[in-house]
Amino acid sequence: MKMLLKLAFRNVFRYRRRTVITFSAISYGLGLMALGICLYNGVNTHAMESIINTQTAHLKILAPGYFEKKEEVPLEFNIADPERIKALLKDDREIQAIESRILFQASIISGMDELPCLGVAVEPEVDPLVFNIKESIQEGRFLESSEPEIILGSTLARDLGLEVGDECVLRMFLSTEDFIWNALDLKIAGIVHAENPAVNRETVFISLSLAQEALSLENRITELAVRIEDRNRLSDVRESIQNRLAVLETDYEVVSFKEYASDFVELMKMRSRVQVLIPLMMILIATLGIVNTMLMAVLERTREIGMLAAMGMRKTEVMLVFVFEGAIIGLFGSLAACAIGGLGGWYLEAKGFSLSFLGDKLADMLSFLPMEVFRGDLTAGTLLFTLALGIVVSILASLYPAYKAVKLDPIQALRHVG
Amino acid sequence: MSIAKLENVHKVYHIGKIDFPALRGITFSIEEGEFLSIAGPSGSGKTTILNLLGCLDKPSRGKIFLEDKDVTGLATSKLADVRRKNIGFVFQTFNLIPVLTAMENVEFPLILAGAHDSKERHRLTEEILTEVGLKDFFHRRPNEMSGGQQQRVAVARALVKKPKLVLADEPTANLDSVTGEEILQLMLELNQKTSTTFVFSTHDKMVMDFARRIIRLRDGKIESDQKGSPK
Repeated sequence: MKMLLKLAFRNVFRYRRRTVITFSAISYGLGLMALGICLYNGVNTHAMESIINTQTAHLKILAPGYFEKKEEVPLEFNIADPERIKALLKDDREIQAIESRILFQASIISGMDELPCLGVAVEPEVDPLVFNIKESIQEGRFLESSEPEIILGSTLARDLGLEVGDECVLRMFLSTEDFIWNALDLKIAGIVHAENPAVNRETVFISLSLAQEALSLENRITELAVRIEDRNRLSDVRESIQNRLAVLETDYEVVSFKEYASDFVELMKMRSRVQVLIPLMMILIATLGIVNTMLMAVLERTREIGMLAAMGMRKTEVMLVFVFEGAIIGLFGSLAACAIGGLGGWYLEAKGFSLSFLGDKLADMLSFLPMEVFRGDLTAGTLLFTLALGIVVSILASLYPAYKAVKLDPIQALRHVG
Repeated sequence: MSIAKLENVHKVYHIGKIDFPALRGITFSIEEGEFLSIAGPSGSGKTTILNLLGCLDKPSRGKIFLEDKDVTGLATSKLADVRRKNIGFVFQTFNLIPVLTAMENVEFPLILAGAHDSKERHRLTEEILTEVGLKDFFHRRPNEMSGGQQQRVAVARALVKKPKLVLADEPTANLDSVTGEEILQLMLELNQKTSTTFVFSTHDKMVMDFARRIIRLRDGKIESDQKGSPK
């Protein structure tokens, strides 16, 4: 066995150029695959996290009918007794925080400019327990109680040329169909720059009490945003909330972030299908590389194989020499792939991968994605998977050429010229 | 004792749809310690006989005995075991493993046989390499040696496991006459010293002169079987 390994090892270095080519095919192919997995995992977790932290929370409690029309952020499907619901859920240990919010259609007016936006009315003390808007304040500060002030998304503020301390007018639509609106003069308390570009581009935050007054929704809200302790218990918590709310005469809907951000979840699913294709292609490249190298080796060493057979080497031993050769190239190729994946993944995790290099226009086109900077998520599992895959694929790919080698008739093989 | 025996052996090759009879009823026996040359023009069946004796091929008809044991019907894997244990090969084109040194090439059959520990293997390897005159070439690779030196390694490799029978198919065909003669001289010495049986095929007059017995073939039949005195 040791002898066979030694023989295989030396044979690997016998045809340097070919070995280097195969080695490169494996290391680049699998290295890119590892990077891809890294980026995918990162986007998967970070993007979802970013949506949860800025838009959907874990669960939302909505008035019946609201969810279906959620794109219009309708005010007529509202919750009349949020405090009662909060009281019912108060002792649920799995719930971290619940915030009353109103989403409304609005526009920001500054001088002659007016831009449409999504208004979010929040409870200034509770909001930081459910979302991370407060942490993402770039300039100024977060809202304080019911002061007539506003937080603007960074892109929105830039487009309107507004800064912290400036005054602006918020036009709030009570009904878009009838074009009924109310306007508030507000001072800009802070500018938020969240991970999620949608927030920066089109969202403004004001305090809940201010909004309730301006929208004539005294004590009413459009949603309760719930943050739970353990995301893995999502469906259980949701069920328990539904059970607790069953005592109420209104049939409130409890919606998870997965349903709320269903577009994005769909997108992720599509990507994960693409994600399967990438390793498959890489495996194909590596396989072709190995099969080609090994078939060439079998052809070139026909007489040597005949000689080994003549000396009484068993078929399995001849096969093993070739399989070992493939495995050795595969092992080194995969190790290099792990180095590429590891270094690249580390960089992606530490620095991220910004779309800004695409230029503003393209980056804007991709702004439906919930993040500006893609961060990788490098795990030992990814590297181990890469390593194992490389070795297994190389061994499997060597089997056919090895089989070809032992199928040779020793007499014919010995007579082979070449 | 007879080392090997062929009994009315026929061998027919099928080339496409044509049957080509390579051997047509060959019978002879080889005694222990013989230095036998199988001679004849190309196509006369020399190599076929060596292949049959070497258990690389099976006869179409007739029987083959090695040490009075019938090997005619053995399975391919069993034949490999017979070769591994009892038969040494020397090829026309040397056929050393290019990635291994002289030492490693000679050691290889011992490892395949699996009968010795590594210390013993090294001792046997060094001994035989010294004997074939390659004391200073232990760690050379085949491409760092001349043809004659490579063939010496091949002879050492064939003999290291102390086989009953060494088969050499045109061992000097790729060597100049002086080197060829040296190789034959070496094989003859080893034959006399170890009483290993040598069978080699050739159509070279000089090679035949070395043999103590010459079997001449023509068209798949034995033309003559003469005892001669070696040079």
